[in-house]
Amino acid sequence: MPGGGRCPDCGSTELVEDSHYSQNQLVCSDCGCVVTEGVLTTTFTDEGNLREVTYSRSTGENEQVSRSQQRGLCRVRDLCRVLQLPPTFEDTAVAYYQQAYQHSGIRAARLQKKEVLVGCCVLITCRQRNWPLTMGTICTLLYADLDVFSGTYMQMVKLLGLDVPSLCLVDLVKTYCSSFKLFEASPSVPAKYVEDKEKMLSRTLQLVELADETWLVTGRHPLPVITAATFLAWQSLRPSDRLTCSLARFCKLASVDLPYPASSRLQELLAVLLRLAEQLAWLQVLKLDKRSVVAHVGDLLQHRPMLIRKAFRDATAEPGALDAREKELQGQGWGKEDRGDGSLDLPAGKRPASPALLLPPCMLKPPKRTCPTPPVSAVTGDENISDSEIEQYLRTPQEVRDFQRAQAARQAATSVPNPP
Amino acid sequence: MEGEETYLDLFLARCAAQDDLALPRSPLLSPIVPYDVYIPNSSNPETTFNSQLEEVTEISGNFSSVDLSFLPDELTQENKDQTVIRSKHETEENCKTESWQSRLPLPSQQDVDLVLNSSGGSSSHSHLHPGDANSAQRSPEKPHSLPLASITPMTPVTPVSECSGIVPQLQNIVSTVNLACKLDLKKIALHAKNAEYNPKRFAAVIMRIREPRTTALIFSSGKMVCTGAKSEEQSRLAARKYARVVQKLGFPARFLDFKIQNMVGSCDVRFPIRLEGLVLTHQQFSSYEPELFPGLIYRMVKPRIVLLIFVSGKVVLTGAKERSEIYEAFENIYPILKGFKKT
Repeated sequence: MPGGGRCPDCGSTELVEDSHYSQNQLVCSDCGCVVTEGVLTTTFTDEGNLREVTYSRSTGENEQVSRSQQRGLCRVRDLCRVLQLPPTFEDTAVAYYQQAYQHSGIRAARLQKKEVLVGCCVLITCRQRNWPLTMGTICTLLYADLDVFSGTYMQMVKLLGLDVPSLCLVDLVKTYCSSFKLFEASPSVPAKYVEDKEKMLSRTLQLVELADETWLVTGRHPLPVITAATFLAWQSLRPSDRLTCSLARFCKLASVDLPYPASSRLQELLAVLLRLAEQLAWLQVLKLDKRSVVAHVGDLLQHRPMLIRKAFRDATAEPGALDAREKELQGQGWGKEDRGDGSLDLPAGKRPASPALLLPPCMLKPPKRTCPTPPVSAVTGDENISDSEIEQYLRTPQEVRDFQRAQAARQAATSVPNPP
Repeated sequence: MEGEETYLDLFLARCAAQDDLALPRSPLLSPIVPYDVYIPNSSNPETTFNSQLEEVTEISGNFSSVDLSFLPDELTQENKDQTVIRSKHETEENCKTESWQSRLPLPSQQDVDLVLNSSGGSSSHSHLHPGDANSAQRSPEKPHSLPLASITPMTPVTPVSECSGIVPQLQNIVSTVNLACKLDLKKIALHAKNAEYNPKRFAAVIMRIREPRTTALIFSSGKMVCTGAKSEEQSRLAARKYARVVQKLGFPARFLDFKIQNMVGSCDVRFPIRLEGLVLTHQQFSSYEPELFPGLIYRMVKPRIVLLIFVSGKVVLTGAKERSEIYEAFENIYPILKGFKKT
């Protein structure tokens, strides 16, 4: 069909409009060369506005899917976009949601659970691709309760038989640290508080690794540890100006929420640093405390592996070495102090610091109450039950009458309508 | 390979010789001779047997490669066990008697099985002994029926060094019983001092007794759940006391289908555990989410028990219907946890 076009190959004007599998093509009838191609998808209008219709709108795939599932899938996609996840994550999360929906238990669940399920799918996708997303973040975004979330999450993992790797701590540190607004001066952040991102990140990472090695991370929520480490790193990079700033104020400056356990994690981290400081000759004489040790964090982190080895003895060290050391220290009365360690009341500088036990803090605290082992009772289960023993649990008729009277009185009192 | 076969032949010949001696006595009496006494009593084959023991210690693990198909099935496993036992007995002279005695009924049963079967090398005896072994298994709690418990221990297939020496303590037993009659919960709540009934909150009467210190949920259908006991017998006694209370209140309560539904135990391995490492190596069984719960949830397949493992080394075991399942689960997990002892 002539339309003013010429074939670029042979120069003929005999161009024919032909459809190849519903794709419009302008083909030269002489040499067969394809001059132009149309778009494969339908368009809203024939000219201008060449917006393509999405696959999901043009096909009938949503006719099979229930409305609540459609809504859920939509929310999964929205959540992925809000979190700015890479596009491939969206498809995986959607697939997980569809998989979960095939189970009758999920289909019949309350709407609240289905909403939380959306978050679970996204979380599992992120965990599998090592994208550091915490459950706390998702719960805040979904306005969901962590208990409900945890129940749904565990159920989903079990139902689908999924293998979900643990949260990657290093990535979490990087993303979390980057969210602190301390890298540029602003009206709320004075110049002396501004810090270089790379330096802070690397020091925070080292502190988190130190915490991990000294049992401060296992079994605990990861985020408060990272908050404490970030604070410590920030303080130690310019201790003279920043020692006056407290943890709470620091988080407010950086516009980051302060997780409740962060202050106790900070104390534990400082205790570990103090223990390490005792092994460095030039720090021993300084008689450091929790505030002054902050200035030397750089040194301590530099020699971290060696210091950890020297400062802490393995709880499972050879008995021979242990006994020798304990005998040596028994005369100085150190034996008791070692067991209840974790405190910072060390008579620093007076005697060489003996290695403390490298144990999680829950094992270092003295036991709250010694649970006496119950005596082995020779109960057979078939003993005679005396009448008197049973009768002690029954009310006498007089007591029954009194109780009934009291109950009636209470009913009368609660059912009296309020005076207008 | 030749050495193994000669060793087996010798062993079987010895067993056959013992059989001839053992036949006139009752099967129950014959095994009650300590295993280590056998060795000095033996005749000529023993000397060659001892000299071949060095070879045995090397190949003791390799019996799967030996062709024992000519033997009847039962014998095959027994012989493997015994040769392993004997070599271990020779190589490990320090058998910790006390720790072994403090061990659980289950391993001593295994020992009895093996000893009972060992004196009967021929198939006829081996058919008898599993029967005895079964009867021994039915009364695991009565040590006097297993006199071998006090004699020099014979190590079962797992060597003594792996025995943990820690016994989980039972903390809670949940049991159910059917009282087989319809109950008027309002009447029970009125006439019993130790009962609470709030129909708007929960459709059962909550009753408590002081000895054994337990709590029961009594439903109007006559079914009852009893919780809080520290042993199976205590749970049964408590359930019977609750049934008596209901009886005294005028209901024709019976005591049918008493069943233990769940047992919870706990213990302490006394060393810290790297939970992150454990979840990496035992992914298919473990679930560790520090954001949700500080402990690692380990779902053991055999026996079907759920263990909560904490960083301090405390372990909680739950989901058992029998005490032995808890003990077995702990013995299974202990070597795994020991692997994570060194940081």
